[in-house]
Amino acid sequence: MITIEKLHKSFGALKVLKGIDLHVSTGEVVCIIGPSGSGKSTVLRCINRLEEPTSGRVVVDGHDITDPATNINLVRTEAGMVFQQFNLFPHMSVLDNVTLGPIKVRKVPRSEAEEQGRKLLAKVGLADKASNFPEQLSGGQKQRVAIARALALNPKVILFDEPTSALDPELVGEVLEVMKKLAREGMTMVVVTHEMGFAKEVADRVIFVDQGVIQEEAAPHEFFANPKNPRLRDFLSKVFSHN
Amino acid sequence: MAFQFEPSVIIETLPMLGRGLVWTLKIATGGLGLGFALGAVAGMMKLSRSWIVRKLAGTYVEIVRGTPMLVQAMFLYFGVPMALGLRISPLVAGILIIAVNSGAYIAEIVRGAVQSINVGQMEAGRSIGLTHGQTMGYIIWPQAFRRMIPPLGNQFIISLKDTSLLMVIGVGELLRTGQEIVAVNFRAFEVYFTVGLVYLSMTMTIAFVLRRLENYLATRTTR
Repeated sequence: MITIEKLHKSFGALKVLKGIDLHVSTGEVVCIIGPSGSGKSTVLRCINRLEEPTSGRVVVDGHDITDPATNINLVRTEAGMVFQQFNLFPHMSVLDNVTLGPIKVRKVPRSEAEEQGRKLLAKVGLADKASNFPEQLSGGQKQRVAIARALALNPKVILFDEPTSALDPELVGEVLEVMKKLAREGMTMVVVTHEMGFAKEVADRVIFVDQGVIQEEAAPHEFFANPKNPRLRDFLSKVFSHN
Repeated sequence: MAFQFEPSVIIETLPMLGRGLVWTLKIATGGLGLGFALGAVAGMMKLSRSWIVRKLAGTYVEIVRGTPMLVQAMFLYFGVPMALGLRISPLVAGILIIAVNSGAYIAEIVRGAVQSINVGQMEAGRSIGLTHGQTMGYIIWPQAFRRMIPPLGNQFIISLKDTSLLMVIGVGELLRTGQEIVAVNFRAFEVYFTVGLVYLSMTMTIAFVLRRLENYLATRTTR
């Protein structure tokens, strides 16, 4: 589904990614963890070219997104994205947030898009909020709308960029529940997260990114029970000493 | 001879100002309509990725902002036709001057408002497959426009008052009409007082309408 080869990304003189190789198969849930500034979000943002890779190759569902001939807008409909700060459209109702993509990009008739949109809102537990505006929702509700918005385009993969990091602790659970449901349904997911519990329970594979490279990559049980990389050991001990 | 205030002159003057008022309204609406279009284009140009496009818009803004409107008006009405060998009507000249002048200030208003929208909005728009232009149209502009309303109202009021400067190029607008009335009845106090009142009622109307629009748009997102 996603193949990343020798991905490098620099911001000016700052080298953020120094050669990332990663393959994500259909139906797989991959969690990326790492300290802040390690480049884990940048990997995600290179997958749908919100960041332009400096060099290397990123192939999403057979489309080489680093090829200028690729219609990136089309690829983006196949790779939905959920942001840390939700980024809902504040001037539109919840339902309009969800239907905008299908109507404008996929040219789905409005009535059909709205019917589909209401189903998706029901799926994330917000059927009664369709006509509300984002401002009236809690953080957890906003993020669930954002997930519905990403799902509305029937993407082949969803990229989650620290989806629970901006939430009050008591609201994290409701968002993770929705994500677990998606994972069980077989959605391909790449999740940058600090939620170790989620990674342990849901991920097929956990990846530790630090200093712009993948330092360790393993199934969750192995990853957390038997970390080999000293940096990862250090990172995990710091994370778990707080929990 | 002692000055004696004649309130009746105000009543007599008002209908005589009608013709000038129509000119002022024509120039203000035409000029600001065109000025908004010009400002929107120049404002977006200032956000362009291309250096030359940004520079082009920046130069326009600098020149207009850095020269008096009276000079612009006289240059455009007396200077340019001489160089090009064509005459433009005072009405067209008036509309053009207000448009070019307000457009420069509106460009800065537009640029600032668009820039103030969180980059996450552009990213979210692009992430659902919208093009840059679609995201601008459906996501960024509707939000930015709301933020433009207070400074736009300010600019509309300034430009409306600035139409009075156009009397120097012979546009028969409100102030010039007042001047012509004074030339006949010599009641400068009453006539210019009335002219001022008419300007004030127009600027207050603009302020009122924009405040209503702002409130309307604000309540729409928290229904």
